[in-house]
Amino acid sequence: MMLAAHDLGWSARGAPILRGVSLEVPEGETLGLIGPNGSGKSTLMRLLCGVLKPEAGEVRLAGEPLARMSRRRAAQWLAMVEQQAETADRITVRDAVELGRTPWLSPLRPWSAEDDAIVAEALAVVEMSGLAARDWATLSGGERQRAHIARALAQRPRILLLDEPTNHLDIHHQLSILQLVATLPVTTVVALHDLNQAMSCDRLGVLQHGRLVALGKPQEVLSPALLRDVFGVRASFLTDPADGARIIRFHAVS
Amino acid sequence: MILPPGRPLARLLGRIVLHGAWIALALAAAILAGVCIGETAIPVGTVWRTLANKLFDAGHALDRIDQGIVWNYRLTRAIVAACCGAGLAVSGVILQSLLRNALADPYLLGISAGASTGAVLVTVAGVGAGAVSLSLGAFGGALAAFLLVALLARASGGGVGPRAAGQIVLAGIAGSQLFNALTAFMITRSASAEQARGIMFWLLGNLSGARWDNVGMAVPVAVAVTSVCLWHARALDAFTFGTDSATALGVPVRRVQALLIGCASLATAVMVSIVGSIGFVGLVVPHAARFIVGVRHVRLIPAAALMGAMFLIAADVLSRIVVKGQVLPIGVITALVGAPVFALILVRRRPAR
Repeated sequence: MMLAAHDLGWSARGAPILRGVSLEVPEGETLGLIGPNGSGKSTLMRLLCGVLKPEAGEVRLAGEPLARMSRRRAAQWLAMVEQQAETADRITVRDAVELGRTPWLSPLRPWSAEDDAIVAEALAVVEMSGLAARDWATLSGGERQRAHIARALAQRPRILLLDEPTNHLDIHHQLSILQLVATLPVTTVVALHDLNQAMSCDRLGVLQHGRLVALGKPQEVLSPALLRDVFGVRASFLTDPADGARIIRFHAVS
Repeated sequence: MILPPGRPLARLLGRIVLHGAWIALALAAAILAGVCIGETAIPVGTVWRTLANKLFDAGHALDRIDQGIVWNYRLTRAIVAACCGAGLAVSGVILQSLLRNALADPYLLGISAGASTGAVLVTVAGVGAGAVSLSLGAFGGALAAFLLVALLARASGGGVGPRAAGQIVLAGIAGSQLFNALTAFMITRSASAEQARGIMFWLLGNLSGARWDNVGMAVPVAVAVTSVCLWHARALDAFTFGTDSATALGVPVRRVQALLIGCASLATAVMVSIVGSIGFVGLVVPHAARFIVGVRHVRLIPAAALMGAMFLIAADVLSRIVVKGQVLPIGVITALVGAPVFALILVRRRPAR
């Protein structure tokens, strides 16, 4: 298993946020995490990447406990794109992406031509090469998000964690980022808000009140019963005449 | 992923030598100017010959008084000023970067006030009964003040994010007020009128007491703190998007924060114990340096150190020549120059949004 969580638990000020979450992500898979607001998605993401230390249970990377790895080695394994990471510093897009090389560099292993190549490639993947010299402050939300993803890619991780990468973006950028994520050749865990967008993941995990209540293929997981119990909505399933894909339409439970 | 480090490492060494050389040259020129300029101007030749006499036993014939002024007063003063400027500026860079707050500086966060309290506690109240040096007292005070401010900021809902930035400044103001009040309390209670006058003068910043034993203290601290920060330049860069992002980039955040904030406290404490608390250097110089060399710490830290050193030497020269026959507290000069410069930077750097 590339990434495995065993019986993870975490609480804030005595209130349990996450309880007994276990999941395994095989190499190359894109796992989507969904759940209502406050169900513990972000906390789970932060536990998986080691920003938070679990109170119970453990995270393993390719069998090795994350807690026993140095921060630096962990960052060589996995990269995280946070929901909102902002800065007031006057940096360019290239500066931001170059930060991704941090876990591979040290005072005795300075910046090299290979790092330049990796940064250029990461910028190209998110189609930001032309904006490399732009000031961070002048970027739109979508451009910032793509720059963050480029930074994560420049980390050359085996596992990529994305916390609601399409948040606050217009529909065009939402789709282009999801498409980008789907084509990335790394193991990916992505927290998502839009359930129709979640349909394109390999597998889905559903969180409710800090527990993982379902885990499996999107078509099996997103059943009318689960949508009613977890999200409190009535759902009808439609078929897109353009490509035969299944679409969920939501109604308030009356 | 691991590359043969040959060429990049050689290039790095080359860069260090090249930049180190011109920084050393600029610093030497600034110190030389600091030695020459004063109420009685001393010709450069005299300074050279004094240095040759003292360092290499050259045996030039020189006026004993001139030689004494150069070697024992002006030179030590200029070197201590340079070290204080560099130390305070680098401390400012560290605090601004780690706390993600453009207003953070040792003065504003109460570290200077705490160092003053510690120093006064030792000299006036006689804590430690002679076993504790003034510097150690100042260091203890600086650390206590910072811990208090950090805890207060955390308790008031700080931590990370834009709101925390405001909280730590508010906590710093509270801490500064508290420690300044403690200092004033001890001075009025325990100090004689003579002592009180001396301490008040010292608190505003005063370089006239700088001697060779101070140089022996200030130089290693300034060099060590600057070097440690430079070693962690990449880690400091990684804080650009906050502490979580730094963690995700492989920085052991707690350890780096503890080490570098410890360094900033050490530098501030040592400098305050020698020259009193000098405001504005730690705040203004990092911003000015960013304006010139950008935000990457590999360039920012040396630039801030050099500019801090030059700024304080210049301020010291001004403090000696502005009013004839009188030396102004250097803190007065740094604030008089620093505040308008800072205002200018604020206006010019107004974000586009």
